[in-house]
Amino acid sequence: MAHRAEGSGYSCTSVPLSANGGDGACSGSPLYELTLRPNRSLTRKGHAVLILATFLAFAVMLSPFLGTAIWPVMLPFPLFVLWLMFTLIERNYLDGRLTEELRIWPDLITVDRIDPRRPNGQHWSAKPYWTTVHLYPNGPVENYLTLRGNSREIELGAFLSPQERSHLFEKLQRILSRSTANPHLSPCPA
Amino acid sequence: MADAALHDHDDHYRPGFFVRWFMSTNHKDIGLLYIFTAGVVGFISVAFTVFMRLELMEPGVQHMCLEGSRLIAAATENCTPNGHLWNVLITGHGILMMFFVVIPALFGGFGNYFMPLMIGAPDMAFPRLNNLSYWMYVTGTSLAVCSMLVPGGNNLSGSGVGWVLYAPLSTTEAGMSMDFAIFAVHVSGASSILGAINMITTFLNMRAPGMTLHKTPLFAWSIFVTAFLILLSLPVLAGAITMLLTDRNFGTTFFDAAGGGDPVLYQHLLWFFGHPEVYMLVVPGFGVISHVISTFSRKPIFGYLPMVYAMVAIGALGFIVWAHHMYTVGMSLTQQTYFMLATMVIAVPTGIKIFSWIATMWGGSVSLRTPMLWAFGFLFLFTVGGVTGIVLSQAGLDRAYHDTYYVVAHFHYVMSLGAVFSIFAAVYYWIGKMSGRQYPEWAGQLHFWTTFVGANLTFFPQHFLGRQGMPRRYIDYPEQFALWNEVSSYGAFLTFASFVFFIGVVFYTIRYGRKIEENAYWGEHADTLEWTLPNPPPAHTYDILPTREEWDRQPHH
Repeated sequence: MAHRAEGSGYSCTSVPLSANGGDGACSGSPLYELTLRPNRSLTRKGHAVLILATFLAFAVMLSPFLGTAIWPVMLPFPLFVLWLMFTLIERNYLDGRLTEELRIWPDLITVDRIDPRRPNGQHWSAKPYWTTVHLYPNGPVENYLTLRGNSREIELGAFLSPQERSHLFEKLQRILSRSTANPHLSPCPA
Repeated sequence: MADAALHDHDDHYRPGFFVRWFMSTNHKDIGLLYIFTAGVVGFISVAFTVFMRLELMEPGVQHMCLEGSRLIAAATENCTPNGHLWNVLITGHGILMMFFVVIPALFGGFGNYFMPLMIGAPDMAFPRLNNLSYWMYVTGTSLAVCSMLVPGGNNLSGSGVGWVLYAPLSTTEAGMSMDFAIFAVHVSGASSILGAINMITTFLNMRAPGMTLHKTPLFAWSIFVTAFLILLSLPVLAGAITMLLTDRNFGTTFFDAAGGGDPVLYQHLLWFFGHPEVYMLVVPGFGVISHVISTFSRKPIFGYLPMVYAMVAIGALGFIVWAHHMYTVGMSLTQQTYFMLATMVIAVPTGIKIFSWIATMWGGSVSLRTPMLWAFGFLFLFTVGGVTGIVLSQAGLDRAYHDTYYVVAHFHYVMSLGAVFSIFAAVYYWIGKMSGRQYPEWAGQLHFWTTFVGANLTFFPQHFLGRQGMPRRYIDYPEQFALWNEVSSYGAFLTFASFVFFIGVVFYTIRYGRKIEENAYWGEHADTLEWTLPNPPPAHTYDILPTREEWDRQPHH
């Protein structure tokens, strides 16, 4: 079963396969680039405003107690709550930074899964010429999308919807068939 | 990179009973758990009131005897009044209702189930934290019930200090019962704070793309406002009851004047939490009522933005009026004047809400289905409670009404007939969505009318008793108060019968109710996102994020 993220989104920067795509060496900009990540609706500024507003509210509430005998009891609870909220929202952003990055160069295809809580991440790369893309309509999940190459089969677009995976499948097939048609498009020195 | 998992056959994975209900991380399952647990605790708490009304039905003590409690009246001379039991019951009723019934039902239950659905979030931001919140709530409930059974003051079990746990009564109550009660409130407070942070994060960070804060449904907003009230006020209560605990057990004198402390300080801290607390009870109800009235008037809600900011204003004002609960502790005239004025200002945002609801119905095509009846009941009775609230806010008048049945009538009109009516409205409005089956309309109507008549019969005469000067929290009263106490007791029995009937209706509906296939079975004006889902919604919703057309029905607001 594919990993189910807490929301899904689809932000995409794609560089069209242009006629001078031959310029794109391994170090150059890729021919096609796609970043997939879950949805988040609070801006960083919104987060700052939230924490600041909560802090100010607590500060106003607790100011009468400063220097009295009860502030050692009254202070820790609000401070803890403030810290907890800050930490948990940060953690929620972190969960939302789970991304899959797909890059296709003429002679290299890479997929990097960046999980903020798994420092080394997960990486896969293969030669586009030998890479095939597969769609299993009744796979473990509807329209299960995989890439097969470099003697491994990996899943892609785990937090996309079935329709989105199906669209991505068609797109990848188109790109990969072009690189199959012209395997020597700007080869890299080994 | 995750290797492809083609040989897994767990695509139709169905958790077993234990895993689904005890280790749940699914916001809908946790919401249902909250609702049912709150229902059970509510039944216990209501059962207490029936026994109390039975005792108050006639002057003299016939039921709560030291020789043993009995349901059939004993002759007065054979009965030594057990005032401690009475005090334990009023304390238990208050603590359970305030901390373990209404908030868990509306905020924990309906909030958990419907807030993520309304904003298009696939689940809560922290599903496992959500599970922790629920089980901490169960722990707190167990502690609260235990506190009534373990040894307390007067060599009897339980402590009878009132739900407010005022010092020095609470610091001098013997036995361990009081400590149980303090821990119960601590644990439930921690549970509420975790729940509140979860709700805030979900509401702010997981709204569907394009759903700005000014386009978020009113119920989701009401949950957000409630979460913020919890977040800001519960740490204060935690501090206050921690000091109670150390005063009781470690010899500190925070609230003991003999050691340089101040018992009135406890009242200030308690009510600084306590007043926002009563808004936590009723604000989610505002959210529910807004959707119900809009749906059954077949009109969009009147004045969406004023409705949102009225809730925010009510929440904010809730923090600056606390001392109107304690006019009689000896504050200066200036302080009393301030709290009086601030309290009356609350009528402004509340008025905005009431009039916007009426304006929503104005010119609408109103259909009196059960949820709408409850909403009407809420609107009328909450307003009655609000009007007596204005009376009580007058510091001068409060000298006479303080600690009389007038206060009891007032807060039961706002909470029992306000917040609880909104819970019933929510149950009838959404039970088809949650269970996939619809309640029998006649049963819902019968439940409404019996509760409406019963609750008014219970609480309206208490205004008269209060005006006659009957004090609250006493097991007995002089004969002059007999008439209205008897009427009030009959009302309580009718309400209880209707509550038992309601439990029957719920279980009948879940097992045998008519199946409903249509997603938006209340018609096109039930237009929030949960109505785009099947009945009941599948375990995982919004794998595909909802598009704007699905939720943005009134682009002009």
